[in-house]
Amino acid sequence: MMEQTSIATGSITRRSALATLAGVGAASIAGCLGGGGGGDGGLSGTIDASGSNTVAPITSWAGENFSNEYPDVLVDVDPQGTGAGFQEFCRQNSDVQSASRLITDEEVEICDDNDVNYDNLEVGLDGLAVVKNSENDWVEDITLEELKRTWEFESDVETWSDIREEWPDQEIALHARDSASGTFDYFTREINGEIGNVRDDYSATSQTNEIMGAVADNVDGFGWGGVGYLRAIEDDQPIEAVPVESDSTGGFFRPTRENVESGDYSPLARPLFAYFNIASLEERTDLIGSFARFYTNDAQQFARDEGFFAAPDEITDENHDRIDSWLEEVGASPDDLTVQAE
Amino acid sequence: MSTDTSDDTGEELFGDVDLGWEHLKNRIFLGIVFAAAMFGVVALGLLLLDIATDFYVGVTEFNINLGEFLTRDGSRREELAGFRGAIVASIMLMGVTAFLSFFVGVGSAIYLEEYAPKNRVTRLIEANLANLAGVPSIVYGLLALAALRNGIGLGPIVLVGGVALALLVMPIIIVSTQEALRAVPDGVRRGSYATGATKWQTIRRVVLPAALPGIFTGTILALARAIGETAPLLMVGALFVNRIPYGPFDRFSGMPTQIYAWAAEPSQHFIHLAAIGIVVLLTMMLFMNGVAVYLRNKYETEV
Repeated sequence: MMEQTSIATGSITRRSALATLAGVGAASIAGCLGGGGGGDGGLSGTIDASGSNTVAPITSWAGENFSNEYPDVLVDVDPQGTGAGFQEFCRQNSDVQSASRLITDEEVEICDDNDVNYDNLEVGLDGLAVVKNSENDWVEDITLEELKRTWEFESDVETWSDIREEWPDQEIALHARDSASGTFDYFTREINGEIGNVRDDYSATSQTNEIMGAVADNVDGFGWGGVGYLRAIEDDQPIEAVPVESDSTGGFFRPTRENVESGDYSPLARPLFAYFNIASLEERTDLIGSFARFYTNDAQQFARDEGFFAAPDEITDENHDRIDSWLEEVGASPDDLTVQAE
Repeated sequence: MSTDTSDDTGEELFGDVDLGWEHLKNRIFLGIVFAAAMFGVVALGLLLLDIATDFYVGVTEFNINLGEFLTRDGSRREELAGFRGAIVASIMLMGVTAFLSFFVGVGSAIYLEEYAPKNRVTRLIEANLANLAGVPSIVYGLLALAALRNGIGLGPIVLVGGVALALLVMPIIIVSTQEALRAVPDGVRRGSYATGATKWQTIRRVVLPAALPGIFTGTILALARAIGETAPLLMVGALFVNRIPYGPFDRFSGMPTQIYAWAAEPSQHFIHLAAIGIVVLLTMMLFMNGVAVYLRNKYETEV
């Protein structure tokens, strides 16, 4: 008798437990539908952005501003690096791809194989700073030829005096990015003549913070990396940029805003890009198109906010023209977009 | 040195044993093993000190307001960035992980302890479990990436992260549940059978209630491990979402991945935000561990 009652209670407990589980499940599904569904009138949806570690902050900042304006939009930026990002982008896995260099022939092939049609916008300029420790008072400038001799494959530079004779006979500690980064591709192509041409005995890392920290800690430290990382610590730590020979005007220049935006700091200043998948634009014309417009309208501000440099004004106009031609390609009119060119 | 002394006492009984030297060796050995034991404590202490310093500097020099930090979502602007989205995402992630791993974990432990015959199949399952517990966490992330993201085509959503973490902690839950079941004396089971109860009744009414505190302790400890896991979430691609997820199908960035993203930022402000994030994460882990210890101590003496 006792046993029976308690079994009955037990089954009720079990039933209510099952009911609770079902409730949780239903709530989850409801949550999903609620999150996926859009608001009325405004833009909604998720934009997937892959790509460069370097450019990600600009795209991310543009996305955050876009979300503030259109709260139902999420721009999900996954900064896996330019090369890794193109692998995703060319397999239809992302709508936007930030890139710190142009697409390579190999990547074009992957995109073609998967019928991915794309085009890019130039969204800013980055300066690559060549950095030394502030205690180092002998390196006052460096030529492109000296940089090449220091960094090229099978370089025999071990001490400062190997670079320039009057510099001390102390061993150099070299720090730079590893081969997964667009920054690495850019430096090796511009300085050493070929992507991937680099000595194999430097400290390679995927974190520019580590490069800057290592050079600030060691008087014989020498390296290169995005100028934004240098700016963040140069006031507090003994590290500074070395003036580099310019291939446009002769002379030696530091990567300041003036020098980069005027074009004097060359070749170590590079354009940054955002690639857009045209198929995504065709599918969600208003969402992707409006984001491209929004990004272009304020790209100069977004780039400067994130410690980079603004692309020239002509580029903004050119970008808007490009977006117009994409829209024509997918059979839409620029007036269809929620965001208009400013 | 030791040869000199042994020469002096060479003619005495046991003269070849230098007692002073032997005692010295004894003390040296004690010193070495004590240093080994203290190594972990010192390393942990230094780590905590480093984080506490960064936390302090963040609050004082960078004027990071803890209230705002806990109630704002992430942002690219360092002065606007907060941790709320990441905290909510991590809690939701733990909910999904617990839901997915608890029932399967406890179920398989009950089978293995109470029902499974001692044969080859059982031994195979147990060997597999032991191996699974040793698999690096990033492998579970890869599995979730391959099966759920590339296979089924889901995005980097809470559910996918939860599946990766659930797979990660399941072996731990199974093993701790097995131990909790084993701790229930056989006499209790036999007593239940003697009243005419079936095996299922015995397990449900007698064994499980007695083992439950142990099972919960193990589960909470497993979740405390899962909440700090970064690698599987990075593999799944959950990194840069600066907002609260509202359900298991929303994209997210949990506490460890948010900390990871901040620590890679150039700005010192972000790096100190990361330090404060670490303090929040550690506090939550310590709290979970504390609950587990409390449960264990409270129910230890019963049964």
